[in-house]
Amino acid sequence: MGDNGKLVQIYFGPQHPGAPGNIGYKLWLDGERVVRAEVIPGFLHRGFEKMMENRTWEMNITLSYRFCVEDPDPLEIAYALAVEDLFGAEIPENAKYIRMIQAEFSRIASHMFWAHFIGGSTGLRTPAYWAVSAREEILKWFGWYAGHRIYHNISVPGGVRYTLPEGFIERTLRVLDFVEKTVRDVEKALIRNSVFKARTVGMGKLSTKEALELGVTGPVLRATGMPYDIRKARPYLNYDKVDFEVPTGSAGDSYDRCRVRFQEIYQSIKIIKESLSKLDPSEPFRIKLPIVAPAGEGIARVETARGEYVIHIVSTRGRQPYRVRLRSASMPLLTTVVNYIIENEEITIADFPVLLASLDPCAPDLDR
Amino acid sequence: MVLSTIKNAIKYMVKKPYTRQVPRKDKRYKSENLRGAHILYMDKCTGCSMCQRVCPAACIDMVVVEGDWPRNHRKRFPRIDHSKCTFCALCVEYCPFNALSMTDATGFELFTTDKSKTLKMPQELKPIGKETLTKQKLLSSYAPPYALKKFEKALEKSRKVSSSG
Repeated sequence: MGDNGKLVQIYFGPQHPGAPGNIGYKLWLDGERVVRAEVIPGFLHRGFEKMMENRTWEMNITLSYRFCVEDPDPLEIAYALAVEDLFGAEIPENAKYIRMIQAEFSRIASHMFWAHFIGGSTGLRTPAYWAVSAREEILKWFGWYAGHRIYHNISVPGGVRYTLPEGFIERTLRVLDFVEKTVRDVEKALIRNSVFKARTVGMGKLSTKEALELGVTGPVLRATGMPYDIRKARPYLNYDKVDFEVPTGSAGDSYDRCRVRFQEIYQSIKIIKESLSKLDPSEPFRIKLPIVAPAGEGIARVETARGEYVIHIVSTRGRQPYRVRLRSASMPLLTTVVNYIIENEEITIADFPVLLASLDPCAPDLDR
Repeated sequence: MVLSTIKNAIKYMVKKPYTRQVPRKDKRYKSENLRGAHILYMDKCTGCSMCQRVCPAACIDMVVVEGDWPRNHRKRFPRIDHSKCTFCALCVEYCPFNALSMTDATGFELFTTDKSKTLKMPQELKPIGKETLTKQKLLSSYAPPYALKKFEKALEKSRKVSSSG
């Protein structure tokens, strides 16, 4: 309470270093405790869904990955899969494996960036910088393979744009080795640290039932103990042909979420290594799709680093979509989950950035 | 305990720094597929406006360049606004005559303090770096017979036009 017995109002973000990107919160404080939080969205609203209605099927790829800067690849894959679903096209096997490698690399890069955020929020900046070096190595790999570091433009409706450059497998394995070593170091330094445990264990708890009611997917849901992963539940690409596990937690608190994310990185490395062995450079990587799409609908569900992502496309026979609808994974994390945890737990102002970082939301994903 | 953090941190203390000093002590990281500033081959361009139509950022418009252009009777060539361009290479991919390609000049190499200089006239789209991404490279991901057929067809067409013009 303030001096006059009223709750103190403060603004958290969008410039606050603890805020997850360009998003703000209005917080009501009772002493140190946060009693109410109101999200202030809209700083990054660009109207992508509407913009996509005015561009052709091929051109929309360059918009599709901009919904989330940290984890752009599953989004471009989702759009490409939705368009292929609409056309009823079957893409070459090579393209499926390349897309899997692309998506898993993006997941690792995103989780490594998250390790940087949570390291910063808990005051452990040293391992956070190592995590960024692993992410940097992946971005360099993307720069080498696709030509750009952040927005790669690899998956297009019909397959992938690039064939295998010389030394593709060797270089990818080299990057994976570096990433694996760094991830192990970061994990040891972060997860086993007693300061980190004191800040995260038992904080921001969610049960499976509550998580499902709030519409949560991804690592936050899996940390509650439910092994729900679209890659296993409704396999897309060739995820049913590779061997991997879905790591789960038990307590559903911030610490479990961190553990699940680190375990996911090891599973992603496993998927990439298996996909590499199945590539065949003599086979095609892409098929040509017609310019005009048939009337109908296309839908794609993919597992991003933050949860389930859905793209629904409606076509009324033409060169452009009639409507593109997205379901982002960050929407419940930033709105309902934060409010639910604040209402049911004592979250102080110092815990608030750690809570946000442990949920790992993406602000552009919410605004789009 | 915090010992595991300290143990790992000591390991990293003796390691060489990961970061590099660019451009003072080290070169920029470049790759064979880098999508940078465009090259326009004005002798190949027919002014068909395909690049303008396919550009998702709407940064290409067609302008008239005076001169003797046997393949381009309307004398229309693409002008690219680098301040809008996202370097997605769709113009390179969809150009029917292989007139556009990309170089490895990006980032601070394209830096300017004068905003009007970002608007690149067709004559200014010259190779300022190594040519990296070409249409031929992008076509190679299609099924080999298709890619070859399509490429040969375009090549044949360009030969015909150049011999008649």
